[in-house]
Formats: sequence, C-alpha cells, structure tokens
Amino acid sequence: MTTFYKLYGYFGVLKKIGLVISAVVALIMMFFITYDVVMRNLFSSSVRGGFEIIQNYMMPLVVFPGLAYVYASGVLPKMELLFAKFSPAVKRILILFLIAIEIFILILVVQFSWGYAMDGMERNTSFPAAGTLYQLWPVFFTIPVAFALIVVENIFLFIKNLIEKDPTFVVEYNPSEEEQIINQAVK
Amino acid sequence: ACGGETSSEDAASAEGEKITLRAATGLSPQHAWWAGGMEPWMERVTELTDGQVEFETFVSGELVAVPDEAEAVENGTVDVALVLPIYQPDQFPMAEVTMLPLNHSDTLIASHAWKALLESDVELQDGKTFTELQFDQFKVFPISTTQEYSISTTGKEFASAGDVKGTSLRTPSRIHEMYAKQTELNSITMPAVEMYDALSRGAFDGSFYSIADWTGYGFQDLFKYTVTGINFGHFNAFIGMDEEKFESLPENVQEAMEQATEEYFEDSAQIWMDRSEEVKKMNEEQGGEFVDFATLPQDVQDHFNEGIENTWGDYAKLLEDNGLPGTELVKLWRDLMIEQGGEVPQKVKDM
Amino acid sequence: MDSYLVVGIIIFMMIMFLLMGMYIHSVLLASGIIGLILLEGFSILPGLLGNEPFNRVASYTLTTIPLFVLMAQFILHSGLVQDIFYIVHKISRGRRSLLGTLTLIIGGMLGAVSGSGTATAASLGQVAVPELRKHGYSGPLAGAIASAGGSLSGIIPPSIILILYGVATETPVGALFIGAFIPGVLVMVTFIIAMLFYYRREAKRSPAAAEVQAEIAAAAEAEAAEENVPVSRLAVSVLMGVVIVATIFGGIYSGIFTPTEAGAVGSVVGLLTALLLGKVNLNFFKASLTETIKLTGMVMLIMIGAQIFGRFVSLSLLPRKLINLLEPLMATPALVLLLISAILFIMFMFIEGAAVILMTIPVFLPIITALQVDVLWFGVFISVICTIGLITPPVGLSVYAVSGVTGISSGSIFKIGMGFAVFSMIVVCGLMIAFPELATWLPSISSGKG
Ligand code: NA
Ligand code: NA
Repeated sequence: MTTFYKLYGYFGVLKKIGLVISAVVALIMMFFITYDVVMRNLFSSSVRGGFEIIQNYMMPLVVFPGLAYVYASGVLPKMELLFAKFSPAVKRILILFLIAIEIFILILVVQFSWGYAMDGMERNTSFPAAGTLYQLWPVFFTIPVAFALIVVENIFLFIKNLIEKDPTFVVEYNPSEEEQIINQAVK
Repeated sequence: ACGGETSSEDAASAEGEKITLRAATGLSPQHAWWAGGMEPWMERVTELTDGQVEFETFVSGELVAVPDEAEAVENGTVDVALVLPIYQPDQFPMAEVTMLPLNHSDTLIASHAWKALLESDVELQDGKTFTELQFDQFKVFPISTTQEYSISTTGKEFASAGDVKGTSLRTPSRIHEMYAKQTELNSITMPAVEMYDALSRGAFDGSFYSIADWTGYGFQDLFKYTVTGINFGHFNAFIGMDEEKFESLPENVQEAMEQATEEYFEDSAQIWMDRSEEVKKMNEEQGGEFVDFATLPQDVQDHFNEGIENTWGDYAKLLEDNGLPGTELVKLWRDLMIEQGGEVPQKVKDM
Repeated sequence: MDSYLVVGIIIFMMIMFLLMGMYIHSVLLASGIIGLILLEGFSILPGLLGNEPFNRVASYTLTTIPLFVLMAQFILHSGLVQDIFYIVHKISRGRRSLLGTLTLIIGGMLGAVSGSGTATAASLGQVAVPELRKHGYSGPLAGAIASAGGSLSGIIPPSIILILYGVATETPVGALFIGAFIPGVLVMVTFIIAMLFYYRREAKRSPAAAEVQAEIAAAAEAEAAEENVPVSRLAVSVLMGVVIVATIFGGIYSGIFTPTEAGAVGSVVGLLTALLLGKVNLNFFKASLTETIKLTGMVMLIMIGAQIFGRFVSLSLLPRKLINLLEPLMATPALVLLLISAILFIMFMFIEGAAVILMTIPVFLPIITALQVDVLWFGVFISVICTIGLITPPVGLSVYAVSGVTGISSGSIFKIGMGFAVFSMIVVCGLMIAFPELATWLPSISSGKG
C-alpha cells in the first residue's frame, strides 16, 4: 500500500499543478474582461481580438487543466440513493463495473480528442482575431491530456477498490495514514 | 473518406435503389441560404430522381454547428452540408476574396461572379484553379452569395471623415478588419446572439451586415442609419459534398444534382434581393434611414474610397506573404465582377 | 440497427446507470457514445467525439460560468453575508416570524449577486440557521428556510441555469435574466407564505417548546447585544452589498457591459469588497478559486456529456418521433406543457438541475418550437421548476448543503422543503401558464420590440 499511496501522492502533485493553472487563468480572464470593459467605456477602444482570445485560449485553459483535480475531489454529482442501500459486497462489484465502463468511455475520448489535436496540428488550425491568425491546435492537446489524467485517476480507484475492503468512489490521499504505514514499515 | 454505415454507401452501386443522404447546416431553417438555396435544391434532387434520393436534414446546429460543416463533410458525419468557408480563413484563406469592398454590385452580380470563380479554369498557382487550390476535397455546388454588406449604426451619422474615425463597428471577417484599420474604424468582435443586447444598450455603434440578414437577429428595429451605394463585399457559401462520396453515387443522381444547381442558382440569389426590400421597408417604418453614399460629404467619400483601394492590395499581400497567389486571385475576382456588371475604383482597375 | 430499438436500449441503459450511481456526466457520455456506436458504428465517433469537448468549452458566453461562480465565492468569503445577517437579526428582535421572512428576502437578494443556489444555501445555512433556532424555529424549519432562500439564486438573475439554457437554445441571456425577474420574486413570495404557514403550525403544536426556545432566544439576544460588530464595518458591508447589485444591474441595463461581461466585472467588485472588509489573503484565494474551478469543471463535464448525448438524440431522430407520437396532444399545448413540467419536476427531484436542463433540451426544444411556445418563456418556466427542485428529495442540493454545514438531518428538512416546493410549484407554474406575460412582458418592453 505504501507504494500505492506514494504514487498517488506524486499524481496528486500533477493534479494540483493543473488546478493552479486553471485558477490563475480564471483570474486573468476576470481582469482581462474587466479591463476591456473599462477601456471601451472610458477610451472607446476595445482590446483587439480580445473576444476570440478569451474564447479560444482562456476558456479551455480554465476548464481542462484542473479537470483531473475536479474529478478526484468527489464534487461530481450522481444518484447515490439506491447505491447507499446495497451491501458492501454488491457495492464493490458495482463500483468495479462502473469504473471499468468509465475507463472504456474515457479512453475513447482520449483517443479521438488526440486524433483531433494531431489533425489540427497537421492542418495548422488557427483562428482569426483582429485581422491575424492565432494558432489554435496547441490548445487541443489539453483535452486528451486532461482525460488521460482522469483515466489514471480511475485506475488508482480501481486498484484501491480491488485491494481494500471498503468500497469507495474516491481515492483519498491521507498523509497521516501513510505516515503510519511508513512508520510501521520502518519498524 | 469514410461515410460510415449510412445507407447510401451500401446502396450506391445498385441503380434505382433508395439513397438517404444526411444533410446539415448550423444556420436556422429560415436563413436565405437554407430556405432559398439548399432546401429547394434538395427537393429538386428528390424530384429529378423520382424519390430515389431522400435527405435527412439537421438545421440550427442540431448536429453540426457553424463553422464546422466543412469538417463534418470531410469526416463523414454528414453527407452534404452548407459550407461557409469565410469563417475558416486558416483552412480556406482565399475564400474571403468575395468580401473585398467595391463601389457597386448586387446579389446577382456577386453570385454570378462567385459561381464563375468556383467554375473558373484559370490556373492561379502550380497549374491549379481556385477550386482545386481551396476546395479540392469537395464536390462543390455553387449557391448565391449574400446581399452586399453595408455599414449600419444605431444612430451615429457620418457628417465628416472625423466622424468615421473611431466609430466602433462589429467586423465579420478579416477583410473587414483590414478595412477598419485602413479607415481608422474601431473593430469589435462578439457573438451574433449577443449583438442585439449590446447594440441596443449602446455598447458600440453598429456593424457591417447585409440588410437581408437583419431579421435573424431583430436588427430591423435597431439600426437607424445605413449607408447604401457602397459595398463591403459579399459573404459566400456553397453546398459541399465529399468528392469521393459524390463519385460513388449513381450517374443519374450525379446528373440530377448538377441539374438542380443550374436550375436553382438564380432563384437562390433573388431571395436575398426580395428579403432586402422587405427588411428596408420594415426598418423605415421603425424610423430607420438609408443614405446614399454619393450624397455624403466629399471628404467622407474619399476616406471610404481610399480604404477600398488599399484593402485590395492589403489582402493580396497577406495571401502572397503566405505563399498564395494573392495578386492573381484579386485580379481574377475583379475581372469576373466587372464582367457581371460590378464597379471598382480606378486604382483597383489598374492593378 | 433499428433506431427505435437503439433508443429503447439506451433509455434502459441510462436508467440502470443512474440507479447504479454512475456519475451524471458519465451516464450522458456512455449513453451517447454507445448509442452512436449502435446507430452508426465506430466510424461516426472521430467526427463527434474528437471535436465536441473543445467546441463546447470554447465559448465566450460560457465565461459566465466560472466568473459568476467566482463572484459568489468572493462575496461569500468576504463575510458580507454574516454582517448583513447580523443587521437583520437586530431589526427583527422580538418579532420572530419576521426573521424567517427577512431570511428568505436576503436569500433573494443574495440570488441577485450569486448564480448558484447550492453555494448560497450553504452560506445561509451557516449564518441564518443558528439565528433562526435561537428565535424559536425548529431545526428542520430553519434548515428549510435556509435551503429555500439559497435556492432562489437559481431563478433570480444572474443564474447559471438561465445561462446554460440561453447557450443551448441561442436565446439572449440578457432577455432571459429580465424575464426571470417577476417569476423569481413570485417564487420568493410563495416561499415566504409557506414559511409563515409552517411557523404558525409549529407554534400552535408545541407552545410549550416554543416558550422554552423563546427564553433561550432572549438569553441569546442579550448575549449577542454584547458582542457588537462595529457600525463602520456594517456600513461598509451594506454599502458594498448595494454597490455590487447596482454595478451588475446598472451596468447591464445602461449598456456599460453585456450580461456576459457582468460576471467578470462583478467578480472584480466582489474582490474589492473582500479587500475592504479585510478578508483577502492566500487562503481566501485558495478557497474561492478551488471552489470555482470545481463547479466550473463539474458543469463543463456535464455539458460535454450532454453535447455528445445530444448528438445521439439528434441522429436517432427521437424528437421528431416524439412529436409524431404526441401529435394527438399537440392541439392542446397546455396538456403537453403539463406533461413536460411533470417529467421535469420528477427529473429535478432526482438529478442535479444543470444536468437535467442540458440532457432534456435536445428532446424538448423541438417539441416546444413545434407547439409555438415562446422559447424565452419556456426557459424561465423550467428554471422555476429547477429552482424548486433544489429543495425536493431525494436529490436536493440546497438541502444537502444546509444539512452538511448545520448537521440537521436532510430527511427532516426535506419533509418541510417538499411542502414549500409543492405549494410554490402549483402557484407559480400555474400563474405562468395562465399569464405567460409574467415572463415575456419585461423583456418585450426593455428591448422595445413589443
Ligand atoms: Na441568481
Ligand atoms: Na430535487
């Protein structure tokens, strides 16, 4: 288990970095739009191409980098009503089944969004803003990467449910627990 | 490419068997290009093939949104679609040529010139024609362009060249951006659905737009001042099909499609002219004013005209810088337009 | 494969997945993808699965999702709500039913600066529930008041639900905001009436208990009188509260910025408020931004799932088949609307609101259009149902949020919340069907189109 949580800890750092990127871009977007509003009203000059840049660069960067963190945080809604009534054994089988479907679907998303990104690179997909073309395809790659990270999260979750008794939808990284294990291992 | 398991693929070989084609647009079903262009075309194809070909239609972005139609045709999501190449200058940089500003033209003139350009055998580069350079993967069925684009504002008038400078207008294409730069207009970009809200609350002054297209967003109630008699280009479109897909269809079906295009081409242009007249009337009832360019003060006219001349050169240069036959293209377009009755400034004639 | 058969399989699969507890976005993605494969084979996937995630997210209008959430987070973390509640507490001293009424009105006012019902409910739960209990309200009633007050953010503009509807149907968000104003106030009024009814009933049932609680309340008030919040701070809070609302609505309706941009400007003002109230530090940013990214990611994942599912729905031609099936009923639109509202009410009971809107629009919008029902009216209408769904069991996110922060059992809150919901649903939805102008009149005069 030690290695498992250690690996999951490293993976957690990766997700946190994604979260920070999303958070920073969200703040930039807030200031950027407000700046544009102020400039337009006070000096009747708008940031040229601002709308396209926000739409094509900032929005994907707010959403995709942090997605694996969001996924792991357990905030995503589901119907838990019936699930809560099952016995642990049934829960466990169900969870493993659900995670397997989830992984299958997510791998399809990774595969095809990767294909889309590669295709975009080949065509040099760009968007016009203020009379010039800005390269768009690099942003495409955030999508397969984000979904690949979610696949990894699900693999951790699958393993956790295989080896541990309590069925769960989140791999909680609990440092104190890990410390205990490490301490025991050292002894 | 891959048409998937659509019924047409299987049926293609056997003459007389039923063929169902999936057709799509991101535009609303009331849009002149659909209602007056693609829809009658499809009906005619069904008629000409005695019901052998049927179309399953998806409009308003239900299946494919603007401007993803070209991609959807290429990857086989749909069989045939209304393609709007100007929205993708990264993929079809030469398609914008019809947006070049002019002194005079109308929907019919521009539509015929556009059809002539698509069918032109003039070799622009490496022995390739315009269509071969831009739309090689498509079987192209030409339809009309839009009506000419005008400048409309919610009230701001152009009494002097100084009034023009700093006016903020929404710009729908790269060429309008260039034109705005040349004439010191402020360009604003925003989604069309937000425009009514923003314009009616005075967030900016107006837009380049074709009058016939106003009703889609309620602009007939909003614009108060429109300059006519100067022309900011025509947006273009075509009915696009995957070339291989087209080749796989029975000969009678291919012929029916070509025939339907020829039959309906002029009508698809006329609908823009009719609509424009209706919309003008509506707008005038709401207190809108149409001002002829020739009646504007001379310095305003000169300012706009100078912008027109320079924009042609700018666009040609932009294409040349990217290794494309810009000068050859704008000259070809100029000649086709003049042939159909369009007018351009002297400096453009001398290019 | 025959499309009727595919639709049947997919609907069955969706229900099974939902019941098993699969994530909502995964239910949509899985049903959409499997449906597409059954209908068209794998060859259809690259064209739809590859580009939809990007196309869905890369939208200027959708900047409102992170930014309206961010604004709410900044305001909630600024301590503004606590301060304003402190004032309300002072005002309603001695008049106990007034405190409940004012709590719901504050819920409505918070709704005007927050786009998400759940976040507002959690914050009201923290601040209002202890106060209400001190004033003799039972735990479940106090919890229901906070949940209902919080849920108002879902319908009183700005509202994420309205934004999502606007984006999915290409209805101007500004018009939706204006149209939702009267129905939003109506929902608030019906909540107040329901609250007073429950309050009276409680007081009658156990007068003794109420007296005991009143004594506790008196003691608490005396205690509260001692821990005074400085007036200067309260003044700043009230002032900033007014400034935020005035900025957003004044800005939108005077043309200084569009409803979309209001999210960004509102966030900056929210940040300034927190600065003035001395709450800005690293933790403030951490908490606000993490919550924002979480909610944004959640909504966007569901939107992507709904988009793929929507493509399947389109290709299966399900809406057209449904319209044919409903043909005998189409002559009486009210009946179809009633049927749709009932289906939506049940769905909102079980599933998170944004997800319901996104998954049902591909099916219902063509029906609504065929009925020639006003698309704006319909958006406001389902947002009302959605708001009410935030306080109905079994899935009522507002109630869960309040239960989570107060420790009052969600079951006991739901018992009362369901009463609020049914009353409000019958009155407001009934009025909206009888008088569609309740939603369409304000937008028509403000755009000058009427
Ligand atoms: Na709200
Ligand atoms: Na509910």
